[in-house]
Amino acid sequence: METNLQDFSLLSLITGASLPVQVVMALLIIASMVSWWYIFLKVFMLRRAENEANEFENTFWTGGDLTKLHESITSGHRSASVQGMASIFEGGFKEYARLRRQGGLESSDVMESSRRAMRAAFNREMDELDAHLPFLATVGSVSPYVGLFGTVWGIMNAFRGLANVAQATLAHVAPGIAEALIATAIGLFAAIPAVIAYNRFASNVDRLAIRYESFMEEFTNILQRKV
Amino acid sequence: MIRARENPIAIQAGVLALLVHGLFLFVMIFSFSWKHVQPPAAAEVELWDSLPQPKVVTPTPAPEVKPEPPPPEIKPEPKVEIKPEPKPEPPPEPKAEIQVKPKPKPVEVKKPPKEEPKKPDPAIKKQEDEGKRAEEKKHKDQLEQLKKAMLQDVPDQETPPAPAVDTKAQQAQSAADAKRAEEILAASSGVVNEYKAKIVAQIKRHVNRQPCGTDKRELAYSIALMPGGRLNGSPHLIKSSGLPACDEAVERAILQAQPLPLPPQTELFDQFRNLNLNFRPNEDQ
Repeated sequence: METNLQDFSLLSLITGASLPVQVVMALLIIASMVSWWYIFLKVFMLRRAENEANEFENTFWTGGDLTKLHESITSGHRSASVQGMASIFEGGFKEYARLRRQGGLESSDVMESSRRAMRAAFNREMDELDAHLPFLATVGSVSPYVGLFGTVWGIMNAFRGLANVAQATLAHVAPGIAEALIATAIGLFAAIPAVIAYNRFASNVDRLAIRYESFMEEFTNILQRKV
Repeated sequence: MIRARENPIAIQAGVLALLVHGLFLFVMIFSFSWKHVQPPAAAEVELWDSLPQPKVVTPTPAPEVKPEPPPPEIKPEPKVEIKPEPKPEPPPEPKAEIQVKPKPKPVEVKKPPKEEPKKPDPAIKKQEDEGKRAEEKKHKDQLEQLKKAMLQDVPDQETPPAPAVDTKAQQAQSAADAKRAEEILAASSGVVNEYKAKIVAQIKRHVNRQPCGTDKRELAYSIALMPGGRLNGSPHLIKSSGLPACDEAVERAILQAQPLPLPPQTELFDQFRNLNLNFRPNEDQ
């Protein structure tokens, strides 16, 4: 009867669990915290990258002198802190201007090397955009299993305790199983947002990458015409 | 952990992440009832205005009746006035009762003549009372009610300290009630004990003695009963035998033994509502 009167509050379920289950729960809670942190970071970063790309494309396609545009981009900050599409433009245009000043080079070589510079800037940008996505993918796929492990362990314990009792009733097993199931619940709580966020961010990053690449091609064409 | 570019928004994102978890925890705790609640068992209930009066009571109210001479006075008078038939002194009982009913109206009329005929009354009244007692008891309640009404009316007319008389009458009655209750208790304690023993015996028939071993074990359960002998709620272990399996065997036996035997007198049920039962599963009674 005592077991029936026990209250199944969230806290008592967590504190009543065995040590491995508690460790699993702690791991999952930390994973959930960090993955939510990354989710918010990525939301802000991707939104900013998109806004910057929009802004830059606006100013770039309104025409005007490329040299002036380059100056306005680099004047505000050090060149390392230029981000997104602007950094691709900056990398390509810097290389092109330097080679043009040097002179004595084939136009195809100038184009080739400025293209390489843009590709390098693009890769750096993609690396920034892809940051943390592997972590989200890992949490999304692994934490249900970790939670399941905790649950299996907890249920194992519940049944082991049951072996000592002459007459087993549901009341003997129920608390142990309820405690164990909390681990799966936490695992799912960590996994579901991580998976959703991963898929969403991956598609956002892909769209940004396509925009960057098409900008690279178009900018190459413009430079080609100028050579 | 994070990129240099993300530094300025790291704290903001961290706070938001904490908020999400706090919100989720809040929802988990307050949107869901974590307490283990037993569904209330449906019970059939009979509503009684008052306890049914046991038949044993007759002797106690008798003394009360005698000190009230005034009320019966009224009986002879209407007879004299209304009925010219030759029945002055020995009024046949059934008629007396029929005449009792018109009483309330002529009460005012009778006020003045009350003082004179007081003396003859007690005699007549006694006769009447005795006759009634002997004849029929079912009308007694009616009579009593009437008498009560009279008791309240009469002091106003007769004696100046009216309220005092009133309270006295009430006290007398409450004392009589207490007496009655005691009598019932005394009369029924035997029955109660008998039925408690019967309940224990019936439960014991269902006990599986194996888990209790061979030692002398003693345990106590408290149970709540509903009319009809069904359990209300579940048995509560007061004193364990030391073997949880043994306690549970007895608990199952209690549940299996339903409906438990109850005395046919419904007024005794109060004493079976909550029972503490002692068991010695390994001893035969």
